[in-house]
Amino acid sequence: MYPTWEGVFVHSAMYVAIVAAFHVLASHLTVAAAWFNLYLERRAVYENRPEFYEYLKRSALGLLVFAYVFGALAGVGIWQTTTAANPRGISTLIHNFVLYWGAEWYMFLIDVVGIIVYYYTLGRVNPRTHLKLAWILALGATGTMAIIVGILSFKLTPGAWLQTGASLDGFYNPTYYPMLFMRLSLMFTITAAWACLIASLMPKGSPWREHIIRRASILGLAGLIVGALIWQFWYYPTLPEHARQVMASRAVPAITYQAILGGAVLTLLGLLVNIIAPRMQRPIIALGAMGVLFLAIFGAERTREVMRKPDIIAGYMSSNQLVIADIPSRGARNEEARLNQEGVLGQLPFVKPPKTAQELYDTQRYWKIGKQLVLQQCASCHSVSRQTAIQVGRHELRLRPVDELLRMRGAKTRESIEAYLNAIGGFPYMHPVKGTAEERAAMAMYLQSLVEEGEPPAALARR
Amino acid sequence: MEMLNTEMLRMMRDPLGAPLHPTLIQVLLVATFVLHIFFVTLALGAASFALWAFLRGNEWQRRLARVAARLAPNAVGLGVVTGIAPLLFVQTIYDPLWYAANTLTGFWSTLFIFVVMGGYSMAYLFYLKGSPQGRLLWASGLSIALILLAGWIMHVLANTQLYPEYWREWYAPNLEPDTRGVVFHAYNLPRVAFLLLVSSVLSLGVTLMLFAWYFRQRDDADYEYLTQVGNLGKRLALVSAPLLWITGIAWSFTQGIQFGLHIVMALAFTFIALLIREGFRHLDPLTGGVRALGFWLLSLLGIGVIRETIRATSVARYGYRVADYPFVWDWASVLVFALTTVVGVAVIAYLVLVLYDSGKGEVRPWAEKLGRVSIGMLGAWLALFILLGVRLYL
Repeated sequence: MYPTWEGVFVHSAMYVAIVAAFHVLASHLTVAAAWFNLYLERRAVYENRPEFYEYLKRSALGLLVFAYVFGALAGVGIWQTTTAANPRGISTLIHNFVLYWGAEWYMFLIDVVGIIVYYYTLGRVNPRTHLKLAWILALGATGTMAIIVGILSFKLTPGAWLQTGASLDGFYNPTYYPMLFMRLSLMFTITAAWACLIASLMPKGSPWREHIIRRASILGLAGLIVGALIWQFWYYPTLPEHARQVMASRAVPAITYQAILGGAVLTLLGLLVNIIAPRMQRPIIALGAMGVLFLAIFGAERTREVMRKPDIIAGYMSSNQLVIADIPSRGARNEEARLNQEGVLGQLPFVKPPKTAQELYDTQRYWKIGKQLVLQQCASCHSVSRQTAIQVGRHELRLRPVDELLRMRGAKTRESIEAYLNAIGGFPYMHPVKGTAEERAAMAMYLQSLVEEGEPPAALARR
Repeated sequence: MEMLNTEMLRMMRDPLGAPLHPTLIQVLLVATFVLHIFFVTLALGAASFALWAFLRGNEWQRRLARVAARLAPNAVGLGVVTGIAPLLFVQTIYDPLWYAANTLTGFWSTLFIFVVMGGYSMAYLFYLKGSPQGRLLWASGLSIALILLAGWIMHVLANTQLYPEYWREWYAPNLEPDTRGVVFHAYNLPRVAFLLLVSSVLSLGVTLMLFAWYFRQRDDADYEYLTQVGNLGKRLALVSAPLLWITGIAWSFTQGIQFGLHIVMALAFTFIALLIREGFRHLDPLTGGVRALGFWLLSLLGIGVIRETIRATSVARYGYRVADYPFVWDWASVLVFALTTVVGVAVIAYLVLVLYDSGKGEVRPWAEKLGRVSIGMLGAWLALFILLGVRLYL
């Protein structure tokens, strides 16, 4: 166990989500934009259409400044945020897939060095040589996608890894291919918005300006339709039953689906307008489309994270970082029984365990121990203290705050809170609370103080 | 207390173990750190020079400042990408240290990437729109400040790892946990001065000599300008050598002494400073760029080893040794990494060759062949990677 970092103003899990959504937008853009640019550059070379180079130059500069470097930065950002928010979760991934990530690192290097070379050598080397650089960017970017999807999908469906502990079994898991092809399709939709933005910045009246907007939009529309079909007929049916249950539960707020569906519908309509009347495209509209896509991606990534609940790695590690399975070939052992028998306190190296019974029952110390246990068991998914709260008008934004949830369920006394803690495993998205009876009592004591702290805010803003 | 810390580190270690021998991971950690620190310090050096030259420089220095302003954001990008590898390896073999440091300093650890993004954006803005007339000089100053802050955050994370004996006190004094992660718990100013400030002057100096070496080969080379650039690079390196020694000695006798490493560190830093001083003194400013890079990378490797020795010695006090880290040979992982290394090196070599030859307008024929081969390898690698999992459906 590690110290708990709750977050400041914003809950730690939301830092992860914000950085992840931005990373997905930028990194998916690099993959599909590399293929779209390759398509245009091939036409420039083989059909002698040098006018496409102006678009390619602008697009490459934008990709260099925004997508490649910011994508890589946000990728590192995901590591930093997940490390601070859920260290044992990221540790499991690292200790399984460090060399796969090492392989992906070469692809990152190819991407970032490649886009620098691509941009600075445009017009300075033979067009056919430059076309090779476009091929390298397209293949390298797809390589990063092929690797990271194995690690992402592992978290939801570790597959045979749970029995064998072999990295390859975890990497090529049941949702690997549907997620890979769904992402490969949808990334063309992101690229369409990007291409429209770049092309709309070009001089009006150029015949190829509208040509590029229309071609990119057709590609984006095809990607959206194929991606939706893959979701419906391949990805969703492959999801574990438990994940589908969680998706249908209140663990995923309605606003999340509204963001995803609303984003998809708006994007579909925008792309259709682009195909019919590409002349109407404006930079502000394209920027708006990118914003809509960001919100939809944010919703989709949040859903992907939440549908694994109550685990961070389905079937192996709970969201609050406890190992819940035996993997003998890797030396991992289920920690649940031991924690219930011996207590959680002894497993928290950052807490000095009480030496005597008198010390344990010292009220102030008891309360503090309760706080430590609540932080360890609840803070991964819930706002515990008020340091992760932001006041927006009359609304207080927190992430599923524990005190609010207890008030809503009428658990206000120490006894009722303790009873609630004992029954908490009944929700599909919650594991039973771990620890001895004394520890649960200490948790209840601390939680009661949170519940009593004051009247509930005017509105409970859910995220 | 020692037993308590030993037990704490053992309990925090990931139960899954490493996928290959931990000593190999340690070697990869040090080797990849060299590339990372070179680009990071280059970014800082280039950005600082651009600002200085725009404010105080003469004509040729302002001309060079434009190059430095272009170099800075690209070096930030490369610094981040090359930083991914040591980031991976450190958390594989030093997971208790890395994760404890990051959670104890969670706010800054999370803010780190936003700080780098800001530094990068400001550096790019300055390159695209800045001018010697004073336009957007604030952006340059802000970018330097943000890059320095990012370096400081990483420095604090690295230093927090070294003191497991204080972690409990930092996290929960009197059992009251501080879950904000806003406090900079451990730092060492001579170490920052050595690794960030003085090293940035050296990385800049070496790169200026490489610049002179490369552009002297062009038909339209401006020899007077290139000689000035090469001389400046050499002078910066020579001036940095004693500064490197002074800050190195200070680092040895403030932090090194805590782990009984001060004598070894002082000797090593003296050797490195002498190597740079003597090595650079005999280099020709116009033609010595490649050898200058060699000297500096070799020195950075030595510095990386010292840095790693401090960490290993610190945790050895509590019985934590990298060589003892549990591991299971995961041959699939090893094969994936080895295969990708071959493909990656071939492709990157081709990219660098194209960039190198682009100044002459034509890429050498054998490089073109390498390009075809490397694209084929990359395509085959991708196809193999995607198809390998089809066995799931068989």
